[in-house]
Amino acid sequence: MRNANSPKRITTWLAWLGLAPFFLFGIAFEIIPVLTLARSSLTAQDALTLSNFERALSPMFVESFRNSIQLSAATAFLGVVFGTLVAHAIVTTRNQFVRDAITALADVTTNFGGAPLAFAFIVILGSTGVVTLILQALGVKLYPTTFRIYSIQGLMVAYLYFQLPLMILLVIPSLLGLRREWREAAINLGASPTQYWLRVALPILAPSLLGGFLLLFANAFGAYATAWTLTGPDVNLVTVQIAALVRGEVQLDPALADALAMLSLLVMTICVAGYQWLGGRARKGAR
Amino acid sequence: MKDRGIWRGIVIALFLTFMIVPFLATVLFSISVRWDRTIFPEGLTLEWWERVTSRSAFETTLTNSLIVSLVTMFALALLVTPTAYWAHIRVPRGKPFIEFLTIIPFGIPGVVLALALIRFYSEVPLPLINTPNILVAACMVIALPFMYRPVANALDAVDIHTLTEAAQSLGAGWRQTLWRVILPNIMPGVIGGCLLVFSTVFAEFTLTNLLVGARFKTFPIYLVEFTRFDGRQASALAVISFVIAWLTSLLIIWIAGRGGRPAESLGAR
Repeated sequence: MRNANSPKRITTWLAWLGLAPFFLFGIAFEIIPVLTLARSSLTAQDALTLSNFERALSPMFVESFRNSIQLSAATAFLGVVFGTLVAHAIVTTRNQFVRDAITALADVTTNFGGAPLAFAFIVILGSTGVVTLILQALGVKLYPTTFRIYSIQGLMVAYLYFQLPLMILLVIPSLLGLRREWREAAINLGASPTQYWLRVALPILAPSLLGGFLLLFANAFGAYATAWTLTGPDVNLVTVQIAALVRGEVQLDPALADALAMLSLLVMTICVAGYQWLGGRARKGAR
Repeated sequence: MKDRGIWRGIVIALFLTFMIVPFLATVLFSISVRWDRTIFPEGLTLEWWERVTSRSAFETTLTNSLIVSLVTMFALALLVTPTAYWAHIRVPRGKPFIEFLTIIPFGIPGVVLALALIRFYSEVPLPLINTPNILVAACMVIALPFMYRPVANALDAVDIHTLTEAAQSLGAGWRQTLWRVILPNIMPGVIGGCLLVFSTVFAEFTLTNLLVGARFKTFPIYLVEFTRFDGRQASALAVISFVIAWLTSLLIIWIAGRGGRPAESLGAR
């Protein structure tokens, strides 16, 4: 933006020095630790090897990846569908107070998670929880077979509590970008509301929806506190396995933890990079 | 048109129920004598609140959480605000690198960040590993985007070039310009970022658990311990966490309503 032309080359160089503290922080606490992790995941007996990754692909850890991916995909999908539905209800309501209040609620609750959230769900849906008791009175017996909050199903319900509001916040700007004239034009040209949604609105929204899915997926995949509080070591998730290895609860095999960590970093990187790329596309599309 | 309004009402009502019932139930549970056999609580009491707040660990863990949150918040504000301003005004080509470093935390799960920090800093002779210092550094990493985005948005929203030139033509130095001219203009962004950092770090469990464990117990660690052996006292602690999160978030929204809107965020999962 500014002219960084030749007479000022030296001062420009010095100006970069002003950013040094920040870059030093990032290098010291983000870049170097992650690179150290990558190196030790690829090392055994001081030699370059993939053997740590071979051990990371044993059945127990493959199952942990399957569980984590299923949990993340399911809550991301449900989050995208219901989040978009609620967001659509919010942006089309004529009641300004409802709109502001629910947006504020989404703002507040998307930061929730972890221990208090998990505990709140034990209170309502645990084996003696209030919703469990009400359903029992109505003749629906959740425990011990139909549903348990201390399981993957339970985690799905708890994760939706922070996935839904996140999706709502992500998709509202895109929904506001849908112009009323486009809908009118489509209807005037003979399209039904369903046709308008399938042929006009959804293709426009697609990058935001897909980007939202990826960010929600990453959000759930990296989650640990909620799962740990709710299910402890009972549910086999990647983050739970890595944490157990870090705490040395299982056998002492540090390189195995490093390999698992690198694999989960790979999943996360794909999601976040995809989100960034689609976000750029969605912003361009909106113009 | 009328049935469409009903559809909207149902969607919003279901959403509100899902979001509010867990919180209300926890509040009611914390003041119930007993609420695990009947649909309504068997009497109300403040006993669990009195018991849990009278323990010395309650005060210690609350203080520890406050210390970590406030130190992280001030350290990030001091690191990020001058950097963001400097990059905006003098080194725009540095911005992509800064943004890259502020996106990385989204891609690193808490357990992986903890593991990476342990791997590197257990080999380095600095007073970091197993101390609250490494916890603050880790919290600064995860909260970095929450500080940077609102500040960068605030800088985009005001004409900092004109402000800077005006200040300097009147003889102000860089420090004076940032402190006396720019900062007051981007204050809503800085405060919004600070609050977002505060609420994220206050609720932090994963990094604390793995990096310092029992050596430095914070409030969320205390809460999780209680969920394992006394649900009723745990519920009082959960309500406190909820209220702190609600209050800081409402404050953020209120400030954002008066200035720039803070970015969407991923909290302590």
